[in-house]
Amino acid sequence: MSGYRVLTRHSSRMGWRVLSLSLVLFAILATELSANVLVAPTSVILSEKQRTGRLTVRNPTNKPVEIEIRFSYGLPVSDSLGNVKIKFQDSLVTDPHSALGWIKAFPRKMILDPSTSQIIRFLARPPKNLSDGEYWARIMVRSQEGKTSIPVPSDREGISTRLNMIMQTAIVLKYRTGSLLSKIELRNTEVWQTDSSVIALIDMKNRGNVSYVGILKCRLLDARNKEISQDKIDLAVYYDLMRRVELPVTEGNFTKPYKVEISISTDGRTDIPPQDMIIGNKIEYVATVED
Amino acid sequence: MHRSSRMKLLAGFLTIIALSVIVAGSNTANAQDVAVGQAKANVLAVLVVTAEQDLAFGDVMQGVPDAVASGSADAGWFKVAGAESKEVSMYLQLPDYLWNDSTTAGGASDEDRMVVAFKDNDLTIGILAASIAGTPGAGAITDLDPHNIAERALGATPNNELHLFLGGTVFPTVDQRTGVYSADIVFTAAYTGQ
Repeated sequence: MSGYRVLTRHSSRMGWRVLSLSLVLFAILATELSANVLVAPTSVILSEKQRTGRLTVRNPTNKPVEIEIRFSYGLPVSDSLGNVKIKFQDSLVTDPHSALGWIKAFPRKMILDPSTSQIIRFLARPPKNLSDGEYWARIMVRSQEGKTSIPVPSDREGISTRLNMIMQTAIVLKYRTGSLLSKIELRNTEVWQTDSSVIALIDMKNRGNVSYVGILKCRLLDARNKEISQDKIDLAVYYDLMRRVELPVTEGNFTKPYKVEISISTDGRTDIPPQDMIIGNKIEYVATVED
Repeated sequence: MHRSSRMKLLAGFLTIIALSVIVAGSNTANAQDVAVGQAKANVLAVLVVTAEQDLAFGDVMQGVPDAVASGSADAGWFKVAGAESKEVSMYLQLPDYLWNDSTTAGGASDEDRMVVAFKDNDLTIGILAASIAGTPGAGAITDLDPHNIAERALGATPNNELHLFLGGTVFPTVDQRTGVYSADIVFTAAYTGQ
């Protein structure tokens, strides 16, 4: 019986791997051909059991493209208004959860001919005695035209200018080791009404040892639980995160007082393969909107 | 049939479907539902950043500043495309100078530089798939600060695209050396929810 279970789990994992590869191939190939370079998948997960990973970079254009792979460190951080940004840091990273410095990429520089692809491989060489949890870095895929045309001044004695537009896609890389816990805490919630909407400011703290990756759903309800509007945001909480959600007050026969139903969960993330998801706690909370 | 064989067969079907889509010339770039029999999977579109057009000041004159507005046809143009409603963080690394590097008759390197500036209203974001430089289209968000771009959700258009149009100003000095001046503008994009 246990042998059957093991076989089933193995087959299922292999199936997901095959399915994921097919879908990545599909996503890459099906993207419109005007793009500069395509990078897939959108995250790379490594672990103590699987210390290598890969990305596929494809040049769908009819010109050669110069690619450079670098590493950076950047987590989603928020300001007091709930606006989120990823701040990138290339050096002087003091976060003990940074994987910068012990992740290697092969190859790191290349010229991709038109309509060709290149697989980039990643290898983790973590320090010994790493604490349980998750370690992070960003893979920066930088691309620019392989042959830049040098502008020629129309007048020989003139001054000509050129600003090269360089594109960079930041892909998250996570290395996991030991016992993993995904847990989030709702620290504070403020809701208030403006002329045409209700604003919810939700303050969250990560209490686990991995990034909490899930979905934040907010529903604006009237006193009779009739839905007025709703919004849903993909969430990645590494340490602390404040999110601002604006819920429009649509026209209708709604009864005050309004309330905001907040739900945070790791369920429903269809963009991440199930084997890479770490199931975490769920939070449900209702906040009343004061007039 | 053995489960792993079934999965291989399923992967085969998916590959055939993918190739059929390519052969049919589909331009579909967005998250898609692919169904074969009982298997259903959601595909997250890759995040694609494209430099559609360089910021073009063209030829400039000594001592005469030259500005390109973000609504101009000469504005620099980046396009971001990805999965529907996913939020994207964007960052522009902007230069302070354009550089001219030439070699003197004696073989020594001889550098000169020209100031380039980006004001806090030099960015426009177009949300229509039909947005182009010079015509950002209805709903475009103007007068944004290119040094501090707020996160945005893709999904305002059927193609899930954002178009960033960047203006700027160069300040050639009265004794600016003639020649070609260049610099890099680096645009970085990342999903915020991963």
